[in-house]
Amino acid sequence: MKKIKVVALGLAMAVAMTFVGCNKNKEVVSSGKVSADQPGWKANAENPVKFDWYINFSWFARHWGDSKVSKYITEKTGVDVNFIVPAGNEAEKLNAMIAGDALPDLITLGWWEGQIPMMIDAGLLYSLDELAEQYDPYFFKVTDPNKIGWYTQADGHIYGYPNSSYTAADYEKYKGKLTSNETFLVRKDMYEALGSPDMTTPEGFLGALRAAKEKFPTVNGQSLIPFGTNEFGDTGCSMLQGYLSHFLAIAPEKNGKFVNADLGLTEDPEYIRWMKMFRQAHEEGLFATDVFVDKRSQIEEKAAQGRYFCMLYQNWDMQAPQNALYAKDPNSIYIAVDGPKNSKGDDPVLAGGGIAGWTVTLISKNCKNPERAIQFLTYLISEEGQMDTNFGIEGETYTIENGIPKLTKEVADLDKNDKNKQETEIGVQYTYWMLMDTAWQAQWGAEYAPSLEQPQLWTRPYVHSYAAYDGLTLPVGSDEQIIYEDIQRRWGKVLPQLIRAESEAEFDKIVKEFNEYKKSKGIDKVIDAQTELMNINKKKLGM
Amino acid sequence: MKKRNNELTPLAKKSFWIRLREEKYLQVMALLGIVWMLVFNYIPMYGILIAFKKNFFVTTPLFSKKFFSTPWAADGGFQHFIAFFKDEEFVNVMVNTLGISILKLIFNFTLPIIFALLLNEVKNMRFKKVIQTITYMPHFLSWVVLGGILTTWLGDGGLFNELLIKFGIIDKSVSFLAYPEYFWGITVISDLWKELGWSAIIYLAAISGIDQEMYEAAKVDGASRWKQIWTITLPSIAPTITIMFILAVGGLLNTNFDQILVLNNPLNAPRSNVLDIYVYQTAMRGMRYSYASAIGLFKSVIAFILLFITNKITTKLNDTALF
Amino acid sequence: MASSKLNRITVGDIMIGILMLVICFVSLYPVWYTVIISFNDSSDALRGGIYWWPRKFSLESYKTVFQDTTIIRAFMVTVLRTVIGTVTSVFFTAMVGYALSKKYIMGNKFYTILGTITMFFGGGLIPYFITLKNLGLYNNFLVYIIPSLFNFYNMIIFRSFFNELPAGLEESARLDGANDSMIFIRIVIPLSAPVIATIALFNGVGHWNDYFTGVLYINDAELQPIQTYLFRIIASASASKTVVAMPAGVTAQQVSSQSVRLATMVVTTFPIMCVYPFLQKYFVKGMLIGSIKG
Repeated sequence: MKKIKVVALGLAMAVAMTFVGCNKNKEVVSSGKVSADQPGWKANAENPVKFDWYINFSWFARHWGDSKVSKYITEKTGVDVNFIVPAGNEAEKLNAMIAGDALPDLITLGWWEGQIPMMIDAGLLYSLDELAEQYDPYFFKVTDPNKIGWYTQADGHIYGYPNSSYTAADYEKYKGKLTSNETFLVRKDMYEALGSPDMTTPEGFLGALRAAKEKFPTVNGQSLIPFGTNEFGDTGCSMLQGYLSHFLAIAPEKNGKFVNADLGLTEDPEYIRWMKMFRQAHEEGLFATDVFVDKRSQIEEKAAQGRYFCMLYQNWDMQAPQNALYAKDPNSIYIAVDGPKNSKGDDPVLAGGGIAGWTVTLISKNCKNPERAIQFLTYLISEEGQMDTNFGIEGETYTIENGIPKLTKEVADLDKNDKNKQETEIGVQYTYWMLMDTAWQAQWGAEYAPSLEQPQLWTRPYVHSYAAYDGLTLPVGSDEQIIYEDIQRRWGKVLPQLIRAESEAEFDKIVKEFNEYKKSKGIDKVIDAQTELMNINKKKLGM
Repeated sequence: MKKRNNELTPLAKKSFWIRLREEKYLQVMALLGIVWMLVFNYIPMYGILIAFKKNFFVTTPLFSKKFFSTPWAADGGFQHFIAFFKDEEFVNVMVNTLGISILKLIFNFTLPIIFALLLNEVKNMRFKKVIQTITYMPHFLSWVVLGGILTTWLGDGGLFNELLIKFGIIDKSVSFLAYPEYFWGITVISDLWKELGWSAIIYLAAISGIDQEMYEAAKVDGASRWKQIWTITLPSIAPTITIMFILAVGGLLNTNFDQILVLNNPLNAPRSNVLDIYVYQTAMRGMRYSYASAIGLFKSVIAFILLFITNKITTKLNDTALF
Repeated sequence: MASSKLNRITVGDIMIGILMLVICFVSLYPVWYTVIISFNDSSDALRGGIYWWPRKFSLESYKTVFQDTTIIRAFMVTVLRTVIGTVTSVFFTAMVGYALSKKYIMGNKFYTILGTITMFFGGGLIPYFITLKNLGLYNNFLVYIIPSLFNFYNMIIFRSFFNELPAGLEESARLDGANDSMIFIRIVIPLSAPVIATIALFNGVGHWNDYFTGVLYINDAELQPIQTYLFRIIASASASKTVVAMPAGVTAQQVSSQSVRLATMVVTTFPIMCVYPFLQKYFVKGMLIGSIKG
């Protein structure tokens, strides 16, 4: 018996050794000739190469090589990809890789992440312009000079290229077609049963909440939650900060100084006006305690049950709940209506995409094949890459009718009904979104599933670019950053206190104390630093 | 009077080399463990220096001259420690951490022992096995998912409220997670539920090693079941209990991060902000590694002191100790 | 064989029995709940109100979990690392525990203190990561085995167990000419079934449940254990810290539904939950003494 155990163990170790030995990329060094008129990747398409590509989003679940599109791209360009994705806390993995000199070939992360300036300073990244000059001048043909300008660092080089970026020109070109995620939603049937009340004033809003509670006290045996929004965390609730200020058309700068909604707009009378409304709502029992306690999955559950009367929420995250509601009763879905407005009745100024975009993609110095890397990026950025990642394979997943590419009915239906399956098996519609140009995509018009359509389209007239105010992140470890975080944490405590204050007098007291706290902590230093960054942005945008 | 096989024998009087030769197998066995610890525990301990640096950026290679020459923290290197002690949340965070841990020590340490003792009394083997298997299942559910379920159940109109109203214990639904005063109870009880069966395993193992003859003798003497437990079982597993207790005290400043993170919200924060959460929210988010490291070091020192004290006490009481 | 005694069921027995039943029910219900939701249609599950049995039975969630064929490979990796890791770690730790159970050996107290310090003081994640990387363990299967070879906590448990073994055994073996390593392997280990089973269980479960190592130290998809692979699905809903709103193009369907997350949890924990019954025979009374007498 013992002998068998020993043998079994030995066998197991042998098998394990094969895992150990089994190793990684055997890249073939390429040596194609490059010119400014031809994309570099074409010259090297015969030579296979594999890149480790780190995606700093733990929800990204796709494997390269599963879907038709990824196989097609690998065949075409010779480039194979291994996605590396963290789980849980993204920063842990990224920081460990940086500290341990284990950065993979390509890195995609949000443009706001603090590690980016750190990596640039420490010389851990290749500069894209130098690589392009050397290996793929075509890069400069496919990239937008405005975006390059935006991301050029103080040393004159660019290290990352964005996706989902909208230049001022894009706003002109696609005016009326761009949408925003910021929506104020109400349950269609309830809202209409109440006579579609006007919720743009605090009185109207309160009145509607009261009426809703009275007329619909329960939903399927559970109590109605008059107002819902997203999670309250230790730094506040993003939708009662940024979103609300956009609806109230509160300007992002005042007297030349940046106004930071995430630090509590307690000096702004319009904001206070509406916060007082929420306080009143809470006093009357119209602001449920659950709203403070619920995390994302509870919010989704309750939305799917239709328990909220109205919500200030991001539309695209309502997909699952809306689908559930639509399946049961198409009239019970949430629709977008006019939400809170300032005392002048101004239209909301909702945030569309900025020039900063959403994520940037970097090439680390650990990449053994920077030549192929820059060529691959050029490919993905180019129109050909956009067509491949958005529409897929001509004849198979899309056809061209009258010069306009259109997804085949099969693929389009699959995308609408089972997006997960579509992305896993086919891979179109920017399944691989790392270098997607959504502005370019906007020219083809967008089709939304019926459960999402109305709110998305509703935002169109109000979409505005807040580009100058992007990227105002303070350097890691600086005094201003510490002050910023302390104030944020305090705000996270103050916000629920304001709403739960038992009287207006108490409310006023809390506001006064908080304003004093901000001043004494040194909020002016923070604002000054951010204003400086804002001005740099404006210069880049030529404003 | 059993002779323990580890007592000091006349070997102690011999010279170093002779002892080495006689103990060579044992020394090799021990040293393998020591070498492992040196590599995997002591080398990384170099990172403790981060706590005394003004700032640590992940882009600075740690084991390099560059790192060593970065500026030291102010106040003789203790800048971050002082900042932590001075922080307005310091007292509250410590109270929450210790409060929850001590409650867990009182209940979640002792109840599994009692459970193991009672389980041991179950006569039907099959029933016993079934109980063991069922009670150890909750340990495997991850807090990430469990937290979501618990939040829904504890919420307004959730399962617990329904039950409590049905049994007439309360008359109106209460959102339990919204109140700081319920938090400690919620976290301790849910942790007990999850770990009861699992924690009992080690005691069951210890009980199974007890000499059956003692029980036979006691039964002959007419001792009741409860007397047997009190005079035979408990004393026999006392060393195990003691060691586990010492280790538990050493872990007093640790709280179950996953559990608390998922149940924590701004309303119950005054009683749910424990040390690990505090570090996560302040230091980790802003990548303030030096600050996080300093707090970590503080935790280690306190834990070590607690362990040392407990060890001394148990040596006196029980003659059982960690070292 | 006291069969006559078994027939006398006392009041105490009944009370204990009832208590155990209550505890079992309370322990079991949430697990049961998890299972039934995972077998329920996800959209329908979102509506809540399901307590005893799936309302709308569906295998969709499980199909989603298994649709990616790499899950089979991940499963194999997990099994391999659990088996190899547990066997090596139990043996290694027991060995050190045995050595340190001999209070008379030189440096014993020193070794113990050295080890105790490691239970509390550590440099943090970054230095540890760098150390492992410099040892060549990054993106290497051995990262599952070698860094978990030794666990001081478990060693303490072994050590106290070995302390309790009667001295007579070893003395007679030594008289027969056996050296310490032979005593350890041939005598002590066979007698330590309960503690070995316990530590093997702790270790095995630890290996099985560990998702973190795979996340942080492994890049190749082929070397990922099943827990890492599936943790993403479970944790995706909590990873909602999008500072900047995601543009409308990126679908929020990346966030898995509750049913899928629960199905994932069932798939990842079910196998290991089933291991315990097999180990239970080692927790039976009198195991130790029986072997000595024999």
